[in-house]
Amino acid sequence: MRIGVFVCQCGTNIAATVATDRVVEAARAMLGVIHAESIQYTCSDPGQRAIIDAIQQKDLTRVVMAGCSPRMHETTFRRAVQRGGMNPFMLEMVNIREHCSWIHPDIDQGTLKAIDLVRKGVARVRRQAPLSGSTVPVTRAALVIGGGVAGIQAALDMADAGIPVTLVEKGPTIGGNMARLDKTFPTLDCSSCILTPRMVEVKNHDNIKLIVNAEVDQVRGHIGSFEVDIRRKATCVIEQKCTGCMICQEKCPSRAPDEFNAGMGESKAISIAFPQAVPLVAGLRKEHCRQFVKGRCGVCQKVCPADAIDYEQEDEIVSGAFGAVVVATGYDLYDWTGSYPTYGMGRYPDVITSMQYERLLSASGPTGGHVRRPSDGAEPQQVVFISCIGSRDESVGRPQCCSVGCMYTAKQAILTKEHIPDSQSYIFYIDIRAAGKGYDEFSRRAQTEFGALYIRGRVGKIYPRGGKLIVMGTDTLAGEQVEIEADLVVLATGLTAARGAGELARKLNISYDGYEFFTEGHPKLKPVETNTGGVFLAGACQGPKDIPATVAQASAAAAKVIGLLSRGELETSPVVAAVDRNRCVGCFKCRDVCPYGAVEQEQLPGGRAVAHVIDSLCQGCGLCNVACPPSTISLKGYTDNQLIAEVVEVLR
Amino acid sequence: MINLSRTVTEGAPLVAEIERRSGQRVSACLQCGRCTSTCVAAHAFDFPPHRLMHMLQIGLVQEVLASRTAQLCLDCMTCSMRCPMKIDVAGVIETAKAVADEAGLRDTERDLRLFRREFLRNVRRHGRLHETSMLLRYNFATRKLTNDISLVPLILRKRKVHLFPPKVKNLRQMRRIFREINGDARPAPEPETGAGE
Ligand SMILES: Cc1cc2nc3c(=O)[nH]c(=O)nc-3n(C[C@H](O)[C@H](O)[C@H](O)COP(=O)(O)OP(=O)(O)OC[C@H]3O[C@@H](n4cnc5c(N)ncnc54)[C@H](O)[C@@H]3O)c2cc1C
Ligand code: SF4
Ligand code: SF4
Repeated sequence: MRIGVFVCQCGTNIAATVATDRVVEAARAMLGVIHAESIQYTCSDPGQRAIIDAIQQKDLTRVVMAGCSPRMHETTFRRAVQRGGMNPFMLEMVNIREHCSWIHPDIDQGTLKAIDLVRKGVARVRRQAPLSGSTVPVTRAALVIGGGVAGIQAALDMADAGIPVTLVEKGPTIGGNMARLDKTFPTLDCSSCILTPRMVEVKNHDNIKLIVNAEVDQVRGHIGSFEVDIRRKATCVIEQKCTGCMICQEKCPSRAPDEFNAGMGESKAISIAFPQAVPLVAGLRKEHCRQFVKGRCGVCQKVCPADAIDYEQEDEIVSGAFGAVVVATGYDLYDWTGSYPTYGMGRYPDVITSMQYERLLSASGPTGGHVRRPSDGAEPQQVVFISCIGSRDESVGRPQCCSVGCMYTAKQAILTKEHIPDSQSYIFYIDIRAAGKGYDEFSRRAQTEFGALYIRGRVGKIYPRGGKLIVMGTDTLAGEQVEIEADLVVLATGLTAARGAGELARKLNISYDGYEFFTEGHPKLKPVETNTGGVFLAGACQGPKDIPATVAQASAAAAKVIGLLSRGELETSPVVAAVDRNRCVGCFKCRDVCPYGAVEQEQLPGGRAVAHVIDSLCQGCGLCNVACPPSTISLKGYTDNQLIAEVVEVLR
Repeated sequence: MINLSRTVTEGAPLVAEIERRSGQRVSACLQCGRCTSTCVAAHAFDFPPHRLMHMLQIGLVQEVLASRTAQLCLDCMTCSMRCPMKIDVAGVIETAKAVADEAGLRDTERDLRLFRREFLRNVRRHGRLHETSMLLRYNFATRKLTNDISLVPLILRKRKVHLFPPKVKNLRQMRRIFREINGDARPAPEPETGAGE
């Protein structure tokens, strides 16, 4: 057994609180170690070279690399030892940085602990066997979940690269929140003008299959081959037959809230979200429909010239096989009505959200683009915007910045002036966050060219008085309390994760934060990956962001998928469970606990049934190891033997 | 409590007047405070220059016109050179001063205003300051004839003042400068590019 130990100094990251030369000294005395050295930056090219040289000159068969966390550089060093001619799994990473130098201020203690950790690693690598993975074929198809601008961009990029894409959208149309916006910062180009053509492209693309009114029901499998059940919810309209003539909507007697217009205005129980919807197909909402609530009506069925209405329609499960998944479920607006009692909790009709205001500004909105306040339809003169509602507010449990509020508020103030030239906008803000390209210039223009008055301070209270809303605030720059007699108040509500994001994450086995935004693989280096191979993120589902950032991330996710699916097959991790057939008692406890369905029954020639692990499904979680009564099933590279040896060495 | 809807609306015409005559835009002010940081006279003001800019932004123009700040500004223009938004802050203050004068506002610093008036008149008349006549007229205007009288023997002895006005070579040119200044908007100051504090 010829073990080499490399102790990284990581500049001063490790060397400051661990005397690496003393660790090297101690390592030389450990059983099996024939080479030990300390290197300033082992991950650098000369550092890796030193490992390779040592392997070749001293004929090393195992390597212990004491340095940073394996999450940081395990792959780097596995490749290095492989280049040196060793099996990559004969490397053991010992974390003396995050687990040692960074947390121990005292060099003596740090050094002693580092030596303990290295001894543990040496004990473990002594019991290591070479491992190699197998290969699995890759399904050349991708699933995109969510049809906002992120999902649209990712789907089109992948489809253009020749990959068959299935796009699943929860709502009746694709377009997401961007379809609701009037104009977009910082260039003030019309949102529909840039988005609708892309939506139509999705619809017409040969490589894209679009499924609306649908959600992911179940996910099985793993990177390279996922099997997904998609539930298409019954809408009582036969999609293939509906021509989008909207006669049903016109004739339907049942009123229903207008979700697309964020509750501004009214719609019908059967409706098409908006005239540019893709697909242009009606949908029926049973909870508002007379036919379903009262048991009689049937008007739409009678008037539909295409015979597209089917009240008996049931949910349908569509299954598909995919090599990769892009999650792009976007955001919902923070519901402020529950947590801002002093702003009226939704009791004052003229206190509205930013998204509702977008609809009032939009030419396709309920007022045809004329800004009219909800209470009496009057054109507002004094418009107050309040930033950071449900953002940067610990008192309502939402400390994060919504990242777009400052910019869309500046935009809305500009548009207000354009719609109503003699109006005056006031913007209560905490800071003006305008960090993007051209953004600061944009928000300054709102002030200098469009006369928006920025008042630094949060509003304390809003109350009605004689047809006006009295906004009581403070101007911290003047050091005074202020009040405004407003006609309309627009709340810049923050962005929350889409409803049901957490549930979807659990189905996909990806992580999410305390606010149900999905967690990227690494905050800097893996911005579109997740902790589950083959599942990628795009857009606001990963965190609040604006359209340029959303589109950039979507294209990045698409590029990752294209890269992945361009490979015919994938190498699987060799760290999977294996059963010792001779000792397996056939209780199948392992099969019961396995979350990935990776254990099957195997019939031995003698008739005895034992457990067998399907390598391509096993994720190496180790649950079965714990469940197995005679400790027969064990994880390669993490055998009981190895773990016990480690514990013994640490306790020595 | 400031009622913004009122101050902004009511202040708008005068703020617009100040903006037009100074050629500056008060809405461009970032409230970064650099003008105040560099101001040499701020300690004597009732509020510092950046606050004056903000008061104009929110329409508190009467308060600005009646302020010591507007009257005591030295017009040294340091703020104007340092402003990152290239706002001629001193120009704004100077314009506010002028607007206040014209409006005949009952200002807190009447003597100061009279001093400034007599000073400028004197320079225009003689081409350069003639202290004796200037002081006499000032004392007359302020109706404090005996003001600083005790200093007279001392300054006479030190030959600091002259009984007769000084002789200036080209008085005409001097007068023309005055005419031009009164007629035109203030020229913008050269920005002090990239200068530190
Ligand atoms: C008032 C306001 C104004 C704005 N103005 C601008 C602007 O001017 N410029 C700018 O750059 N940005 C602006 N933004 C931000 C912009 O809206 C977002 O950057 C952008 O919409 C994010 O796109 P997305 O595709 O990630 O998410 P979304 O637009 O939210 O799309 C997500 C889609 O996924 C669907 N979905 C959700 N859950 C599921 C599920 N479980 N299964 C299937 N489908 C699902 C949703 O129905 C939706 O269609 C504004 C935001 C607001 C609130
Ligand atoms: S490690 Fe065990 S429990 Fe986990 S998937 Fe593999 S066989 Fe199943
Ligand atoms: S330096 Fe200019 S921008 Fe800064 S506070 Fe003064 S006037 Fe405003």
